[in-house]
Amino acid sequence: MNKVICQFATGITAALVAAACAPAFAANDQPIKIGVLTPLSGAYAPIGQQVKWGTELAVEEINASGGIAGRQIQLIFEDGEADPAVMTRKAEKLFQSDKVDFLTGVVNSGGTIAVGQVAERNKRLASTTVSLSDAITGVRCSPNLFRVNAPGGMQATGLVQWIKTHQADARILAVGPDYEMGRNTVAGFVSTAKEAGLNIVGELFPPLGEKDFTSYFGQIRQSRPAIIYTSTAGNDTVRFFSQLEEYGLRSRMTLAGASVAVTAQNIQAMGNTAEGFVTVAGYSPDLDTPENKKFTSDFQKKTNATPDLYGADSYGVVYFYKAAVEKAGGTDTDAVRTAMRGLTWDTPQGKKEMRAGDHQAIMDVYVLQVKDGRFTIVDKIKGADAAGADTCERF
Amino acid sequence: MTVGAQKLNGTASTRFLAWLFFIVAIAFAIVAGISQEIFYLRLATEALIFSGIALSVDLLLGYTGLFSLGQALFFGMGAYLTALLLTEGSGYGFWSALGLSLLASTVVSLIIGAIAIRSKGVYFILITFGLAQVAGQSVYNTRSLGGSDGITGIPVLDIDFGFFNVNLGDPVSFFMLSLVFVLVLYLGLLYLTSTPFGRVLIAIRSNEERVRALGYNPWRYKLASYVIAADVAALAGTLYPLLRGFVSPELMYFDISVNAVIMVILGGTGTLIGPLYGSVFLIALKTFISSWTLHHGIVIGIIFMLTVIFFPAGFVGLYKRLATAITRRGQTS
Amino acid sequence: MIEYLQFVLGPQVINGLTIGVAIILVSLGLSIIFGLLDVVNMAHGEFYAMGAFVSMTLYALGLGFWAALIITPLLMMPIGALVERGLIRFVYHSPDRHTLTLLLTIGLSIILKDLYDVLYGPNTMKPDNPISGVTEIAGIIIPNYRLFLLVFGTVIITLTWFVLFRTRLGAVIRAAAHDKDMTASLGVPVRLIYSGAFAFGISLAALAGVLLAPIYSVFPTMGHDFILLAFTVVIVGGIGSFWGTVVAGLLLTQIESIASLYIAPNWGEPLIFSIMIAVLIVRPQGLFNWSR
Repeated sequence: MNKVICQFATGITAALVAAACAPAFAANDQPIKIGVLTPLSGAYAPIGQQVKWGTELAVEEINASGGIAGRQIQLIFEDGEADPAVMTRKAEKLFQSDKVDFLTGVVNSGGTIAVGQVAERNKRLASTTVSLSDAITGVRCSPNLFRVNAPGGMQATGLVQWIKTHQADARILAVGPDYEMGRNTVAGFVSTAKEAGLNIVGELFPPLGEKDFTSYFGQIRQSRPAIIYTSTAGNDTVRFFSQLEEYGLRSRMTLAGASVAVTAQNIQAMGNTAEGFVTVAGYSPDLDTPENKKFTSDFQKKTNATPDLYGADSYGVVYFYKAAVEKAGGTDTDAVRTAMRGLTWDTPQGKKEMRAGDHQAIMDVYVLQVKDGRFTIVDKIKGADAAGADTCERF
Repeated sequence: MTVGAQKLNGTASTRFLAWLFFIVAIAFAIVAGISQEIFYLRLATEALIFSGIALSVDLLLGYTGLFSLGQALFFGMGAYLTALLLTEGSGYGFWSALGLSLLASTVVSLIIGAIAIRSKGVYFILITFGLAQVAGQSVYNTRSLGGSDGITGIPVLDIDFGFFNVNLGDPVSFFMLSLVFVLVLYLGLLYLTSTPFGRVLIAIRSNEERVRALGYNPWRYKLASYVIAADVAALAGTLYPLLRGFVSPELMYFDISVNAVIMVILGGTGTLIGPLYGSVFLIALKTFISSWTLHHGIVIGIIFMLTVIFFPAGFVGLYKRLATAITRRGQTS
Repeated sequence: MIEYLQFVLGPQVINGLTIGVAIILVSLGLSIIFGLLDVVNMAHGEFYAMGAFVSMTLYALGLGFWAALIITPLLMMPIGALVERGLIRFVYHSPDRHTLTLLLTIGLSIILKDLYDVLYGPNTMKPDNPISGVTEIAGIIIPNYRLFLLVFGTVIITLTWFVLFRTRLGAVIRAAAHDKDMTASLGVPVRLIYSGAFAFGISLAALAGVLLAPIYSVFPTMGHDFILLAFTVVIVGGIGSFWGTVVAGLLLTQIESIASLYIAPNWGEPLIFSIMIAVLIVRPQGLFNWSR
């Protein structure tokens, strides 16, 4: 036994010597590679599916008209599974193994921040098209991370404006799942609402994945809200709304919430309990512009499905990257970053501008309400009014 | 127990497999280092880190006969303490993190072990499972520990070994460090299981009553084993934030504990080298299967169940069977 | 005070009762399988989910709630028997039985969860509430469907009790749980009893799945919703103990319901787990293990 240990000990020394030397190498370039790290399985797969379709459609169009500065785009997909550990692993794979020039598609906010760190370590750029957490372009901003979609803060501002116009003295109860994302979204909404003078009567934080919200109905009844704002998502929203209906509470109030609360993924399960739900998002397939009409019809031809905000924003991010690379004259990270700052580009939703100070895109947002089981546009709020202040300090 | 009922360690097969593992690992490091396959290096490093928790499960399950479904508690503890030390404290480095993890896991496992080890069989399994869940959920509920988002921004360390430095930003260096780390853990456990202490553990697994009749106090030995296993898991956990730059409550949850058990079963219970192979298999399987089919749960579940039913001695057992079959054939001809 | 009872405490208690009844259905299944077959069924949550998914398929085929309620458990019986024969049987005679069945059922739960994702997609589904409207009892508002749950669940539990304690079949089952070999030597087909008991156990869970789908919705990871609580109920009540499961089921759901009024709900799960751990340490055979 001791002999074996001695033999291994020699091995250790040899290994440590090897550790000291590791030669460096440089990457190469041919087609422009864009990595799409998005949930293709699991609970967020429907969002990932829209991201995939959106990016694919954009790449097909761009490649057909000559690519970016003559170079074709190649998309490489990886399944992020909504687990930050898996996401960082796959992001590494995309940057290191597949040598992608740009990364996008991350859905989960925590994952986006983690992937931003990976991008910094690999000296490349990444953008999210879905993540809502204000921190991504706020306290946790990164010089290598961008966001083209409307964050929670913009949605909150838009919603608060709508409420002020239509139900200014309504009693509002805010509900959010008890974890970072849920609480932050509610906090953002509540502070914006209070600044605008709205009447917030309470906040509730059921656990994430709560099956039975009826324990909170006593409190809800006591605070007699006219509006309930929620940042629940997926199953939680389905259960919340259907249980409100069960107890006969739903019809007495207006339901509102973050854009994640009611999406194509769960709207069917909610049947008519989602009727009248109000939210604010950066996109609606019903937008009456020629660009959007063309986009939605191309999207439907390709996928047999209607695009939602995830599909539209993911479509837009490819054009964003194209515009930046063309302006920078190449894919060099620093040049592209500089080009991206302040860049305006065309999307199905109109023009977006990438704010240089925090890498957040500014765009008009739309107030959407569920009528007859689908979202309809009821109002529009200009980007300049909806955008929050630049709170990013890192650059 | 027939789950991987192995003879005492140190047979020709396990020695061969152990050498093979470390030599191939070094070769891999050289090749991957030259071609700068950083993704694979980091993936392999992660496999090594998780093999640490698998080793801890094996010490308990394969040698002492204790089935713990909660080793993730200690792994996560080591990871979180390291993350906190490096982000909140200043002037602390690798050695302090290791020391802190070791200290904490020893203390906590003494307390938990003292209470839990009295319970037999299934009850022990459920207690370890429950405790890991309570710990994980408590961390999730605590904002000062990062809450559900965990802690990010862990710096890339430079480790001072006295006459040379290892920079963890270099993937080859980190891989080699992890390899050496796992090697030390492996050799340590190998040695431990060959001592009289280790013999008693193995005896306890076979027949606790008889051990007691011989005058030993099995409870003390089981407790010692539990503490050592906890320490191994916590030390392995220390490396995780250094590699990935963040920690999250999921590190303490059921999935991590179950994965460790799967690694041990696939590799071969009670062999110590088996878990190392098992970790590499499982991580490779998960990464590559999820690239071509989305439904890796079904694939891994089936492989796992087949192993439990048809290959209870895991990969090492399979290798042994093949090796003996070939040698035997060689002898008779 | 009255207002407090009416608006806060009362609804919590009633709600706890309805959930309690559903949990008892799930836990009874787990307890029977654990107590009789000595199998730790880590996949029990996935069978609860299976009931819900099967009912969704039946609804898609045009059947109504009542039909699904009867057909689903019946469909689950052969599935359960198949699982027992095809899988558990392999490791049954091994001395490591506990460990091996635990491992096998973990593997099974991984597979089933993914399978639901493959077959039904990850989107949430929810059947319509078959009995809408609310009733007011002593000033407390209760949805009619939940009243139905309470009544129907109690009926099933009573039926189970009746079969177990007042029929010959039940006597045979209890005998087999008590002493397998003696029962076999009396000419009882013990193997058949085991398959049947396993099948029955998961049918109960599946039935709970059908019953709860209209209020809790259906999605691939729904098995997680109750599995922790079910395990705790079984352990606190005593493995294999009918009355233990019933009392523990009611008690624990009441604790969870009322606790959520006073402590942050996120601490509810650790609370339940801590109770489980405490019982495991202090009295592992369960608090209420008086009779089988």
